[in-house]
Amino acid sequence: MDSAALYRLMTWLSPAYPTGAFTYSHGLEAAIEAGLVKDRATLIDWLGYVVAYGSGRAEAMLFRCAYERAGDAAALDQVADLAAALRGSAELALESEQQGEAFLATTRRAWPAAHLDAFARRRHGRPVTLSVAVALAVAETVPIETALLAYLQALVSNLVMAGVRLIPLGQSDGQQAIAALAPAVMDAVGAALDCPLENIGSASPMVDWCSMRHETQYTRLFRS
Amino acid sequence: MAMLDRRAISGAERLTPLRFLCPAETVAEIGFDSRAGTGPDEMDMKIDVARHPHAILEAGLERGHGRAEIRVAKNGAGETAIGGLYQRSPCRVLFPRPEAGDPFTAVVATTSGGLAGGDSLEISAAAGAGCRAVVTTQAAEKVYRALAADCTVKAVFSAAPGAWLEWLPQESILFDGARLRRRTEVDTVADGRLLACDMVVFGRRARGERFTRGLLHDAWRVHRDGALLWADDLHLDGDIRARIDHPAGFAGADAYATIVYVGADGADRLASVRAEIDAAGVDAGRPGALRVAASLVNGVLVIRLLAAEARMLRAEVMRLCIFLRTEAAGLPARMPRVWTI
Repeated sequence: MDSAALYRLMTWLSPAYPTGAFTYSHGLEAAIEAGLVKDRATLIDWLGYVVAYGSGRAEAMLFRCAYERAGDAAALDQVADLAAALRGSAELALESEQQGEAFLATTRRAWPAAHLDAFARRRHGRPVTLSVAVALAVAETVPIETALLAYLQALVSNLVMAGVRLIPLGQSDGQQAIAALAPAVMDAVGAALDCPLENIGSASPMVDWCSMRHETQYTRLFRS
Repeated sequence: MAMLDRRAISGAERLTPLRFLCPAETVAEIGFDSRAGTGPDEMDMKIDVARHPHAILEAGLERGHGRAEIRVAKNGAGETAIGGLYQRSPCRVLFPRPEAGDPFTAVVATTSGGLAGGDSLEISAAAGAGCRAVVTTQAAEKVYRALAADCTVKAVFSAAPGAWLEWLPQESILFDGARLRRRTEVDTVADGRLLACDMVVFGRRARGERFTRGLLHDAWRVHRDGALLWADDLHLDGDIRARIDHPAGFAGADAYATIVYVGADGADRLASVRAEIDAAGVDAGRPGALRVAASLVNGVLVIRLLAAEARMLRAEVMRLCIFLRTEAAGLPARMPRVWTI
């Protein structure tokens, strides 16, 4: 990977990239309300599961599918359709689509690329999830392991930051959580690359349950 | 062994090397699958066939590939009637006379009593324009321990314009070590509507057994007018016990269900379904014993249920299905009769 590609990858997955990531908690706000997550240890445990067996697992596989099919419009569109449909709740769908569409729009403006324009035209009126949009943007220039690691690291650190605001925890607790989750993220990268496609999916119905309950939660800071 | 009376195995008391029992061409299939988590040691060790009778069932002796295909259409008198039927053992389709107010009813029975490794079932039902029909199953489906080969169940449903179709199977009970891949596909056209449920029980809890290893892959694909609206892939393998007990997994639930309602009026039903869920005082009794929530994903109404006990889950699935079928289709406030026999 050359420096230019690394520069783009870091920019695109930085919390400063305007995808609105900080407004989504992926059901964490409801999990905290329900007492399922209450301190640093339970936050690490919850997010470690989300990465290994929840949406981290499912998104990593969708990411890989889109990455591998980036040059084949019909196959890529099929992955994009599945990614848009594979959502456990309305807010989990909103979270991935609004970030995906913001990512695609911003990237096309700041880093114009013909294949992103063509993809956006084909998807017109249909949702684009973040995993598929990022995978397509990096497919030509970033090795899959690196791309997946960066994608999952961004997912984890965003959710840790949500936990820091909601529980609440100190910034240093947050960084300790991100450090503690490094092995889970690295394992998830390996698992996504080894997993046969027929085994795509997740085993986190409690995250769906939390996200569904969040839709009617009385006091809420986050959009998911 | 009680569950296997039907498939009497002679010499079941002996210790028999597994290889010896296998016709050559099936060895590869019952061998280990490294990615599925069953170790290679199972291949070479001596199997006590009294304790592991499915080792023999999987060895190509008796595999069921059942099929039930039902089409319903309006007859000359404008009533919903059988338009087409195909059945292959061990599937049988029964058509009990509906009680007053009930729609056309089809009951799928699996005469083998359950699914062993390598068995497959395909069930499909198509409701023609304007038809109203319910398809259910005669009893809970037992999924026995499998050594390596997966059981597969494919269920395909379609509702034509103006049709109302229900797929309300009874629960699947996963024995410890069961391997089940299930896929439910739904296709509705225009204002065709469908109500479906899907219940899984993790282990024979009455015997104190839990589902700790094996495989469950439970997939949904829901289309309306050809577009994929909602998909779901539950994938459980490896240390299944740890996933079921984890607070972000199943939070210790012994039974799990999904109810799906597909119809143009899905959005209108969400608020009333939520009110119905809350009306029961979910979480009544001990905290977390029953967790139920609903959402509208891309126009599809999805309800998730997790329960500490199968009985509790079944009661709640019945209550919510009854609510939906009365509210959305004006059907009688009861489940198909086989559910309560």
